[in-house]
Amino acid sequence: MKAATSLTTKLNMTGMSPKMSGLIAGSLQNLVIPLAGIVFFLAFWSVAASNINTSLGKFPGPNAVWTQLNSLYVEHNEERTKEQAFYERQKKRNAERVAQDPDYVPKIRSYTGKETFLDQIVTSLLTVMSGFLLAAVIAIPLGIAIGLSKTLNTAFNPVIQIFKPVSPLAWLPLVTMVVSALYATPDPVIPKSFLNSMITVTLCCLWPMVINTSVGVASINSDLVNVSRVLRLPALKHIQKIVLPASIPMIFTGMRTSLGIAWMVLIAAEMLAQNPGLGKFVWDEFQNGSSDSLGRIMAAVVVIGAIGFFLDRSMLQIQKFVSWDKTSASR
Amino acid sequence: MSELLNISGVDMIFPTPKGDFTALTDINLKISKGEFVSLIGHSGCGKSTVLNIVAGLHQATIGGVILNGKEVSEPGPERAVVFQNHSLLPWLSAYENVELAVKQVFGKSKSKADTKDWIEHNLRLVHMDHAMHKRPDELSGGMKQRVGIARALAMQPEILLMDEPFGALDALTRSHMQDSLMEIQNELNNTVIMITHDVDEAVLLSDRIVMMTNGPAATIGEILEINLERPRDRISLASDVEYTKLRQAVLTFLYEKQRKVEPINSIKKSSDVVHNSKNEAA
Amino acid sequence: MKHVCSSLPLASGGSQEYVKHFLLSVMIIISAVIANNVNAEKLGYPEKEELKFGFIKLTDMAPIAIAYENGYFEDEGLYVTIEAQANWKVLLDGVIDGQLDGAHMLAGQPIAATMGFGTKAHIITPFSMDLNGNGITVSNEIWAQMKPNIPKMDDGRPVHPIKAGALKPVVEKYKDEGKPFNMGMVFPVSTHNYELRYWLAAGGIHPGYYAPHKGDISGQIDADALLSVTPPPQMPATLEAGTIYGYCVGEPWNQQAVFKGIGVPVITDYEIWKNNPEKVFGITAEFAEKYPNTTIRIVRALIRAAMWLDENDNANRPAAVKILSQSNYVGADYDVIANSMTGTFEYEKGDKREVPDFNVFFRYNATYPYYSDAIWYLTQMRRWGQISEDKSDDWYKDMAAKVYKPDIYAKAALSLIEEGLADAKDFPDFATEDGFKDPQTEFIDGITFDGTKPNDYIDMFPIGLKSGDKV
Repeated sequence: MKAATSLTTKLNMTGMSPKMSGLIAGSLQNLVIPLAGIVFFLAFWSVAASNINTSLGKFPGPNAVWTQLNSLYVEHNEERTKEQAFYERQKKRNAERVAQDPDYVPKIRSYTGKETFLDQIVTSLLTVMSGFLLAAVIAIPLGIAIGLSKTLNTAFNPVIQIFKPVSPLAWLPLVTMVVSALYATPDPVIPKSFLNSMITVTLCCLWPMVINTSVGVASINSDLVNVSRVLRLPALKHIQKIVLPASIPMIFTGMRTSLGIAWMVLIAAEMLAQNPGLGKFVWDEFQNGSSDSLGRIMAAVVVIGAIGFFLDRSMLQIQKFVSWDKTSASR
Repeated sequence: MSELLNISGVDMIFPTPKGDFTALTDINLKISKGEFVSLIGHSGCGKSTVLNIVAGLHQATIGGVILNGKEVSEPGPERAVVFQNHSLLPWLSAYENVELAVKQVFGKSKSKADTKDWIEHNLRLVHMDHAMHKRPDELSGGMKQRVGIARALAMQPEILLMDEPFGALDALTRSHMQDSLMEIQNELNNTVIMITHDVDEAVLLSDRIVMMTNGPAATIGEILEINLERPRDRISLASDVEYTKLRQAVLTFLYEKQRKVEPINSIKKSSDVVHNSKNEAA
Repeated sequence: MKHVCSSLPLASGGSQEYVKHFLLSVMIIISAVIANNVNAEKLGYPEKEELKFGFIKLTDMAPIAIAYENGYFEDEGLYVTIEAQANWKVLLDGVIDGQLDGAHMLAGQPIAATMGFGTKAHIITPFSMDLNGNGITVSNEIWAQMKPNIPKMDDGRPVHPIKAGALKPVVEKYKDEGKPFNMGMVFPVSTHNYELRYWLAAGGIHPGYYAPHKGDISGQIDADALLSVTPPPQMPATLEAGTIYGYCVGEPWNQQAVFKGIGVPVITDYEIWKNNPEKVFGITAEFAEKYPNTTIRIVRALIRAAMWLDENDNANRPAAVKILSQSNYVGADYDVIANSMTGTFEYEKGDKREVPDFNVFFRYNATYPYYSDAIWYLTQMRRWGQISEDKSDDWYKDMAAKVYKPDIYAKAALSLIEEGLADAKDFPDFATEDGFKDPQTEFIDGITFDGTKPNDYIDMFPIGLKSGDKV
């Protein structure tokens, strides 16, 4: 703060208009203060880290995390090189086989090597987004129906209230068993583990979205409903023109809450079920117990946090774009 | 003038946990085409309920409403309502708000160009053509109410129902709106039922003032004919003897015959509480 | 080939000579047929090319990692994905429900699954993965109390092997104080469970009985030391947390305890039973039947990997350790894995001793699935009550033949020999091998194991169920 003011005084002295320097002071405040916060945190983190000894060595500080992030990136690139070689070998082998066995229809099989950290990030993001979208497709229409109909609301409310507080992780074993039972194709296009994680995410996204949507719908200004009645809008048009736009702020609140929970739950589910993704990465590293493990886990923690933040901001941007009520998206 | 609307023998009873509450009893009123009728009474006397029954938003417990020989059973655009709090859809511009109504009422019977002309015509009528692409949150209270009126007029209703249309506006804006409304009336000669508790507004605008007794079991107390010449001018009327007498008559009804001592807390009507979806969403 | 197995129980249990003779003759015929087949037609292309194998983070999964990294799977036209599993149960379930095509398994797992102890499924093994490789570690606190009971060498280091007798007073002290003496093993039918029990019982500590017929599968009936399941990679953390006082697990999780300074390995399984069979490669019987060429090709790749691991006196071990230390395989530090994989074993910090055969992947016919190995596991299951009733010697042999498939192994090995990729002298003589090792004597308690006489063997133990006993 002090630095910012003294800087602006300096700038003022160099003959800048007060308006200009005010602008700069504003952006300095927006930049410098958060930066100072981050620097302070990093300093605190490194000091604290160097004072915590575990049986796997010192707790990783910012330096160790940075090193690990780099090495994870290097590993990723190495793996891509190996992947290249894999495909070339396969092509050659296919060609040889076709030469010997003309009936053979060559097939390119996807790379069998390990999933790198970056791959795991992509997997987790895909899982959370598909689970989230599936939940939205179910929850928003359901929420609208419940919000519109008192009868439905009374019927569903106890069910929702009971399932809402259940940690989705409790569902995980059931989901796993049901998916195994119902999805019994020999060569599944979508891996079962992906389905398990995705459905778990869906289950945890469902309730906040249903509740927020139905509350949003039920609390529409009665005057707006009367407008619709006077105009004799048919049911679908009523939903499209009045209900949906009016409840969009609440729907988005529900969606943002859901996505935040979903991201947290997904990581835990991946750890628990060993389904591919960032959670599995963390658990594998914990099990490896190598001298790099803690650094890698910490790197994953930072990345998980950053992605969670990024997801929330993205939802906010979408909400700002979609919703008429700009103030509701300012949190 | 022919009879357009007939409210006959209407009773309204609301079931409450503490037993039935009789809001209205034996309301009888006939309104002719082109007539401007004000409903006046203390708050809580059931004026709005009467209007809602005519609009079809409420169903009378006993009796009913006949419009043009047909009984009213549900809301419809031939009985357009101007709500106290404008009730514009906040996500649509002024133009789009009117458009929604026009498209719904006229559908395909109007061509695209005709639809556009009709929307713009109605917005011009309320002097809102300069801001028709603004959203409600960019408009002042008076402007929003103008758009609300334009929307109602655009439906070409047989009867226009106005529920304290200017109640939430400041005095100056209210006068402007009243003048605009008279101007429109001059041109269109609509049939109007307006609820108000502003005595001057009632006398200035109406052909008849229906004065209601206090609830519960409110009913029509007196009906006052206003035979002032049109067009009316508020400044010249201010010193008009007839105007003063009529004004006096309404005031006497309200403050002597139907004197009401209200507990301080209930002065603010519940419908005055502005619904603020922004607060709920945030 | 199948009739070999089904004809085994035909031999009457009473006449040992007859069985041997019968088996021998059958084997000769079969081997000749195989040899002819190999000569007659080349091994066909794999029916299933894309495979997924599971493993647990232990150094003895090495043959799978090496077969992948050295391209042996690809040489067979197999495209294999290798995936670490959370624990042995998840791994077994994965193989049973088809999510995994095969896996690195505890020797007891295919046997128990086929028998129906736990999840019932017909799992077979055509390939033994290694000999030895486990150790028993106790926490520093327990070690301090044990140490006074252990004789010392001239240089002050404790005399090995350390018997459980040294632990007995400690367990008794805990028992007197009313504190349960908890120890960890990795799975109820794991080698580790039986080895830990063997060691404890040999030192007079009762590890407890199972009683599945009464629904008791905790294995803690009459126990002095209470054994419970912990997944291998979590052993050090669980020990550090004080939940258990000691554990039996495969590498690198004993050496990890030394490196982290949280515990002391007291004995290796090499010292409990010299060159004991350890992990196996498990697949479902259905898989082997549906994809015979694939199965043989998997075994071929694994044999080549095992050969490479033991080649030139373990010369490739450092390279193997480097691969295993990758995070997607075992993932522990190079030094930790190298400690045991390169022929040494560190007990107390600094007390590093030569154990050249701590991890054996190929020599001593380590990869050949001997019926007698299966029978040893079955005897231990009977000893501790997992098999609640007496079974005939024939039953033991029948069960072993149902699970262990030396015939598939022989096909794979012979085809490798044929192609010049392997040397016949490194394998058992397939023409005469009957699948039974000669009676083995090198156990810590000196009791001899003869795979052909399981019931006699069970009756020799001072602690454990004997013929006629039922919990």
